[in-house]
Amino acid sequence: MDSSVHLDHVMMQFDNFVAVQQTDLKIESGEFFSFLGPSGCGKTTLLNIISGFLDPTEGTVRIGGQDMRRVPANKRPTSMIFQNLALFPLMTVAENIEFGLEVRGVRKAERRKVSERLLNLVALPECRDKRISDLSGGQKQRIAIARALAVEPRVLLLDEPLSALDLKLRQHMRTELKEIQRKTGITFIYITHDQGEALTMSDRVAVMSAGKLQQVADPMTLYRAPATPFAASFVGENNRIEGRVVRVEGAQATLDCGDLGQLTGQTLDTLSPGDTALLFIRPELLTRRTSMTENCFTAQIQELNFEGAYLMMEATPLNSQRRLRIQLLSDMNLGDVATGNQVMFGFSAEDAMIMSGARDV
Amino acid sequence: MFKQLSERFGPWVSLGIFLLMFLWLVMLVILPQILMIDYSLRPNLPPSQIGGPEDQYTLRNYATLANNAIHQSIFFKTIWSSVLVTLCTLVVCYPLAYYLAKVATPRQAALCVLLLIIPFWINEILRTFSWFIILSYRGPLNALLLSLGFIDRPIRFLSGDGGVIVGMVYAYILFMIFPLYNAIESLDSNQIKAARNLGSGWIRTHYRIIIPHAKPGIATGCIMVFMLSAGSYAVPALLGSPGSRWFTQIIYNWFFEGGDWNQGAAYAFILLLLCIGFIVLMMRLFKVGLGDIAR
Repeated sequence: MDSSVHLDHVMMQFDNFVAVQQTDLKIESGEFFSFLGPSGCGKTTLLNIISGFLDPTEGTVRIGGQDMRRVPANKRPTSMIFQNLALFPLMTVAENIEFGLEVRGVRKAERRKVSERLLNLVALPECRDKRISDLSGGQKQRIAIARALAVEPRVLLLDEPLSALDLKLRQHMRTELKEIQRKTGITFIYITHDQGEALTMSDRVAVMSAGKLQQVADPMTLYRAPATPFAASFVGENNRIEGRVVRVEGAQATLDCGDLGQLTGQTLDTLSPGDTALLFIRPELLTRRTSMTENCFTAQIQELNFEGAYLMMEATPLNSQRRLRIQLLSDMNLGDVATGNQVMFGFSAEDAMIMSGARDV
Repeated sequence: MFKQLSERFGPWVSLGIFLLMFLWLVMLVILPQILMIDYSLRPNLPPSQIGGPEDQYTLRNYATLANNAIHQSIFFKTIWSSVLVTLCTLVVCYPLAYYLAKVATPRQAALCVLLLIIPFWINEILRTFSWFIILSYRGPLNALLLSLGFIDRPIRFLSGDGGVIVGMVYAYILFMIFPLYNAIESLDSNQIKAARNLGSGWIRTHYRIIIPHAKPGIATGCIMVFMLSAGSYAVPALLGSPGSRWFTQIIYNWFFEGGDWNQGAAYAFILLLLCIGFIVLMMRLFKVGLGDIAR
């Protein structure tokens, strides 16, 4: 069954505020697709447009190739898991799960079968007759999933459903969600501001900011080759260094970064000397150096945090005010790496991304 | 409670507060009621015989109703009409309360509430009387319907219970709107969205999600409107016809026209007790607890 979701020129405007700029996007059938962005970036608006709670100012939504323009929210083949779950507190667990079937006029015996199957799927068969208020956070989460799946949606929409859970449970639910998605083959559209969730679960991620899609890519590409300065700083950690272009040689550009001297990195943009540009280098790609070569500088370690496998530190290059974040594997010989010491760091030009300053947001 | 208060305000102020509360409760609530109970249990005697051998406690005043078929029928009609008023008020108020709580923007809601409240700055008698004018045989409503061609001769709205019911629905709208509004407002809007998302149409969303949630508010509003209409005097007196007498009018007549306070007090207590009984029955029927209402 085709459960792809197409957004054709979708645009949403509230009074004078453009919540979602014109967006074209195709979400494949059976894909786990995430919208990642800070709050207020328009991702929830997009979800409401897909589910039919909002009509876009312009453009159309197609689900399974079918135009959804005249289809009201209660007739769409979508099902939503709300941020606060929105389980019905006055009904039992089973009644919650069966509600969507009751609406469709499914007979009681049939409904019971479905709810039992789903309760088994989410591993809570004993909760059938419990009240919602008697469930724990994780159990509620699963019941919400079961309720959404009961109506056999083609597309499951998830609005930051894990944000209320504690860390352990959140990580557990990630694997569980991914597992359920694999078993059911439904298209999952997941909304989150947590990049960890987006990167671990998704087949593809759309990074959003200010109502605009910044980049749509699989998690690895997103992390390794961010397409915009926003994507580079929002996804994962990144050191952002401003500079002015000195030289361009093929796909490599060299910037004059003032206090850090000249730094070289990869670029996909067309740059010419004199342009302002941004260089991004990930904390884990900064390494210790023993001799001063290209892309090297000496920095004083200001703060050192031990994070188990890694050491995360903040260091200030000499003659500079900026603080760079540097991550080192903690099992290597750390030698003189200690707070207050001056250590030489560097990175290879292939690891740094340079983007035109004109694209900064 | 006294300890908490005196820790906060000192013993003298707290004592003062307690005395005032006590006085208020005893002088204004308990004593008058006891006095009326006492009245209702004594025979109506000329002043010279009060305290004499005839002045014995008796249930005769209560028995009067049992022997008067006309009063009985008026009594039951009052209960039935009050139920009707309550239902009409609920039907009118529910959509409005839902609109105020879940659909309207804050500005629209504020405007709407203002429009609802302003008429209540006007005296109840005046408001009721304006309905008397609107509904009268040669009044504006008949004129409007005639000019629009819906009817070809004026309707006597005021001859039956219709006028009384319209007047009461209007008079008690606020007592229904606000409890309903509070109850619906406290419902998480995502619940409505979730129901819709699961395929539920509007009618089902209301009777499966919103109304069950709003049940305590509905109960509160219904009890208030029912009690107020069963005990209303001004509206039936102004908008009623001889054929639509209210039980309160009979009580009034006992007191002020018959001069029989004892009989009037007994009737008043019968009305009170039966109304309470009726409400308890309804609460049982719709499975609403007292705790829900106090919520």
